[in-house]
Amino acid sequence: MAKRTCIFFISLFMVAETVAFSQDTVTVPLHVRAGFDLSGPVMKLVSNDLISYGILGSADINSSIAATAGIRYSSFKSSEVLYDFRSRGLSFTAGVDYNFIKANVSQGKYYAGIGLRYGLSFYSEEAPMLRYTNVWGAGETSVPLEQHTGHFLEITPGVRTQLLPGVTVGWNLYMRLLISAGAGKDLKPVWMPGYGPGTSGMSTAAEYYISISIPYRKVKVYIKPKVRDSEEEETEGENTGTGNTTGTSGFSNRL
Amino acid sequence: MKRLSLILSTAAVTALAMILHSCSVQPCYEDTDPAMNTLLLVSGTGETAKADSLRVYTYRETDTLKFISLRGASTFSVPLDPANDESVFLITLNGVTDTAAIRYNRRPHLVSPECGYTIVSEITGLKTTHNIIDTLIIENKSVNLDGQTNLHLFY
Repeated sequence: MAKRTCIFFISLFMVAETVAFSQDTVTVPLHVRAGFDLSGPVMKLVSNDLISYGILGSADINSSIAATAGIRYSSFKSSEVLYDFRSRGLSFTAGVDYNFIKANVSQGKYYAGIGLRYGLSFYSEEAPMLRYTNVWGAGETSVPLEQHTGHFLEITPGVRTQLLPGVTVGWNLYMRLLISAGAGKDLKPVWMPGYGPGTSGMSTAAEYYISISIPYRKVKVYIKPKVRDSEEEETEGENTGTGNTTGTSGFSNRL
Repeated sequence: MKRLSLILSTAAVTALAMILHSCSVQPCYEDTDPAMNTLLLVSGTGETAKADSLRVYTYRETDTLKFISLRGASTFSVPLDPANDESVFLITLNGVTDTAAIRYNRRPHLVSPECGYTIVSEITGLKTTHNIIDTLIIENKSVNLDGQTNLHLFY
């Protein structure tokens, strides 16, 4: 009798555990976010040569992909021995971010992923003074103010986390690929607003931003069950003793 | 969360390194002097010629600028005057002197942020005397930093 009761309870525990972890969908809130870049104002305290203020927004399309857009105003001046250079303008970016963190872990709060964006920069540049020297002698000339439009691509690995409910902070690293500076081969900008050094085909930058995050919809996301071979299951069963593993659901306590 | 903290701190260190790198002053290693390159050719055959002696210079109000003084040269390179739209060269080939006047348009060209700007030119025309020079023709009108041959000098 005692043996039968024991088997009954063990079976009951097994059924109970299967029910508790058999859930293979999770409800995730989708957010819209609007924020601004903190690094621009901080860098202005260090140097007045580069002023860069950016705002950015994003909207989750699903639990992994978000549509993102940004506007940035940049002003750059450089006074070197050989030349003075100034540029300023507005740049616009638009693209998508992909979150590598699974929906059941990120829960709309965490992001570690990569983005791809297309950027457009409307800017003006001038070189009020430039000096040249060769065997004929030295001289000075200037490049008058000209308006240009540049294009670039951005690859942006980054992370974001929820600081407070509704407030997120994050880093983005920017790897920018220049499509065209729009200024011809002779007058590539020393600094193209929104991109960086216009003489280089690739530029890097970083941004630290804070944003307000508002949930606008909830979606159910199917979580693919983790497939484990029986050997691994046995080993884990031995280690944990109680068999407190994910079973078919894939919800591991380690996550 | 530990993973996120690790990623966050890695990103911060990388960003700081990039910012510090971008703040450092870089030296200029590039060529900043565009030169007009001329190839010497044998008149009639078009074969490359080797001058026994070659001198290229110009007279200015106050002095004489000597550009080239070579023996056994088959090419020479001279800079154009970046302050004027015309440069006049006296070319002495094997002891015989000709005068060549080169006309051009000038425009600034950014070499790099470290090196600054230089003046590149587009040759629009030329004139020469014919004491030893048979023909002087424009092969490539862009006088820039590419190092391509701009003129063919037949003598």
